[in-house]
Amino acid sequence: MIQALFIALSAFGLLMALGTVFARNLVNAALFLVAFFFVIACQFVLLEAEFMAAIQVLIYIGAVTVILMFGIMLTRNIQGDETTTVSKRWRLLGLGAFGTVCTVLVLGINAYQPWTDLAVRPEFPVTKDSTTPRGQAILSMTPTVGREMMTRYVVAFELAGLLLTAALVGAVVLAQHDSTDIVNAKAEKPGTEPAVTGS
Amino acid sequence: MSPFDMTMTPETNLMLAQSIYYDKVDLWLWIRWGLYLFAGFFGVFPLIVAYIVLAERKLAARFQDRIGPNRVGPFGLLQPFADFIKLIIKESIVPKGANGFVHLLAPMLTLISAFLVLAVIPFGVGLAPVDLPSGVLYMVSVSSIAALSIFLAGWSSRNKYSLLGAMRGVAQLVSYEIPQVMSILPVILWAGSLSMVSIVQAQQYDQGWFIFSPPGILGFVLLLIASIAEVNRAPFDLPEAESEIIAGFHTEYSGMRFGLFFLGEYLNVFAVCCLTTTLFLGGGSLPFQSYFAGRAEHMLAAPFDASKDQILKLNAHHEFPLNPGSGFRIEITNEAGRSEAFQVSHRTGNDLYLLANRPVDFQAGANARVTAAARPDFASPWHFSNLIMIPVFFAKVFFLIFVMFWIRATLPRMRADRLMAFAWKTMVPLAIANIFLGAIWYEIVIRPAGGYGHKLVGWAVTGPLTLAAIALVFRINRNSYQANDPERRPTLISRTGESLLAATTQGQ
Amino acid sequence: MSQQIPLTWFLYFAAASFSIGLMGVLMRRNAIGVLMAIEIMLNAANVNFVAFWRYGPTPASEGPISGVMMALFVVTVAAAEVAVGVGLILLCYRRWRAADVDELDSLSG
Repeated sequence: MIQALFIALSAFGLLMALGTVFARNLVNAALFLVAFFFVIACQFVLLEAEFMAAIQVLIYIGAVTVILMFGIMLTRNIQGDETTTVSKRWRLLGLGAFGTVCTVLVLGINAYQPWTDLAVRPEFPVTKDSTTPRGQAILSMTPTVGREMMTRYVVAFELAGLLLTAALVGAVVLAQHDSTDIVNAKAEKPGTEPAVTGS
Repeated sequence: MSPFDMTMTPETNLMLAQSIYYDKVDLWLWIRWGLYLFAGFFGVFPLIVAYIVLAERKLAARFQDRIGPNRVGPFGLLQPFADFIKLIIKESIVPKGANGFVHLLAPMLTLISAFLVLAVIPFGVGLAPVDLPSGVLYMVSVSSIAALSIFLAGWSSRNKYSLLGAMRGVAQLVSYEIPQVMSILPVILWAGSLSMVSIVQAQQYDQGWFIFSPPGILGFVLLLIASIAEVNRAPFDLPEAESEIIAGFHTEYSGMRFGLFFLGEYLNVFAVCCLTTTLFLGGGSLPFQSYFAGRAEHMLAAPFDASKDQILKLNAHHEFPLNPGSGFRIEITNEAGRSEAFQVSHRTGNDLYLLANRPVDFQAGANARVTAAARPDFASPWHFSNLIMIPVFFAKVFFLIFVMFWIRATLPRMRADRLMAFAWKTMVPLAIANIFLGAIWYEIVIRPAGGYGHKLVGWAVTGPLTLAAIALVFRINRNSYQANDPERRPTLISRTGESLLAATTQGQ
Repeated sequence: MSQQIPLTWFLYFAAASFSIGLMGVLMRRNAIGVLMAIEIMLNAANVNFVAFWRYGPTPASEGPISGVMMALFVVTVAAAEVAVGVGLILLCYRRWRAADVDELDSLSG
């Protein structure tokens, strides 16, 4: 039964990903992306990493999608219609890349014996009385993540903090409304006011 | 073994799993979930929301020295039904260029988010619909979907004012999510668990309401303000301001679609009030119940062997009077007089397994004196204490809702930039300071002996620190307040740029 | 659970999602669309990390949740990248009045 669930979920997820790539309207594409993120969260639940599922919903659906929506809204075309087309030149290349990469990956996965062996062996049974570190980590992932962050991965944690600070400061600096912004350099003649920015 | 030991092999790793229950999926579970679905989804919550709307109208009327709806039933009690009928028979006008699917999806997302938040709240003993071990994390994730719904509502209406309202609304929601989550962190630290039921139990049996501490008061205030902003209530209701940008992001919604938004907003109000009650007011418990929780002082000398297994195993040679099972807290004092409290994981025969989620300082084989703080272990919703807990819970929730109505009737709306400045410059620093204060409180009061020790010392230390933090934050921000800045003080300026006040004084 | 999901099924899903994301990166003209396709690719990689963590033996020196930690850091970095990316796109829009990656083809000016 769980195999049927996984197949249905994955098929739905791939359809949503295709919708993101091919949707004309950017907001529809963003909504497809939200559905795809949710499917990924469901995959994390199937993999018994519910903490990651919650983080996926919180950060991707709650924050990244909002940023993308803001970006879509602030960079609309003049007509207000947000349709974008897929350029013909790249269409063939894109399909070719998709086919090549997908085939190579699937054949590679199939051919690697340790992974297909893992296919046959069932997962670790994780029950309430699990005493292995991994079993306990799965049962109570949030405290384990906190502890690991502070002991084993503390350097990565601090670097991620630095990265986020840099991104925060950078985004604020980038988004500042510069009064010397020139929209279209060609339209400016000396002695007149610069063209008003659209945003 | 030092607390900072980085080599964690199975033998020395005494830090451990919480025992979570896997519910048996049997007929009783399906019946319970079916009942929750029908009673909650179709009955209780819409009724509660409808009467909250009526209460708001009547309370706002009383604040404004008038009476409020009193035509439809006795004291206007049938007004919600009249409103419902009106909304249903109204035509749902959808703008022509609007994206129909998204136009309908937006209020549904608000409702979904509110219901999902309500799914983890313990309304009483055994009455949490779902008791997730990481309930707070789940609740935070789910409440972040609401921002998306506001944006979709504004976008799909193809209306500049809607879009403006939506942009401001999303910015506001995203900004106030941060103090909302950070003010919950001290609560998680004190309760030691992310599960809502554990948080309520910690307040009920161990520590008293979390609000009875300076960091608790500060956290409560921060959570309340941030929650009011999260649900777009006044004074933070600029996104749906009726006198400014028509109706903001739900301008183009009419009929039952507007009804869905209305329902969603008030359900959100109910959900965040339930959340605040659970986290800070010990949802369902009486104020000083923890003092009477039945501390059975039972001295027991039991050798225990901390090196063999990953769980602290206590050989209970004597019978405990109250038969401790999972959920009890056991306090162990070693010969040096140092005591720590541990939670019981489970009990098999004479062996009591304790959860040690931090490094344990007891030597193997040492004799320890065990004083058991009794906490009953049940999860059935038919417990008699629900008769008291459910009314107390709802009394607290309605009190908080009344506070929200009161604030709405009293305070004027905040301007968009001041709203954002308040979130980022005042509330976020206070929330960060609150985390430190919460840690100080934890070290002084909660860590030593399970919630009873040194509360006066804790107040004496964290009280002045809290006041100092608040004063510091306001002092740092004093230059950004408009009243203090002579250049930005509002004044009358004519079209040519000269000050009219100067003109009038010169004309005298 | 009587039947288990084989590891390779998760890997197929991740591979297919990754390829779809790659196709999106190559085919999309709008910069925000390209960002969305990049997010699809990153999420596919995350599924891979967590699947390998759950199924396979991981070295004990890396701790009990190495895969989940990696996925967590990927989420962090991806969120930071989207923030900065959207900021850059907004700047390009202000400058060139369009968010079309085909037109952003000069390094000067």
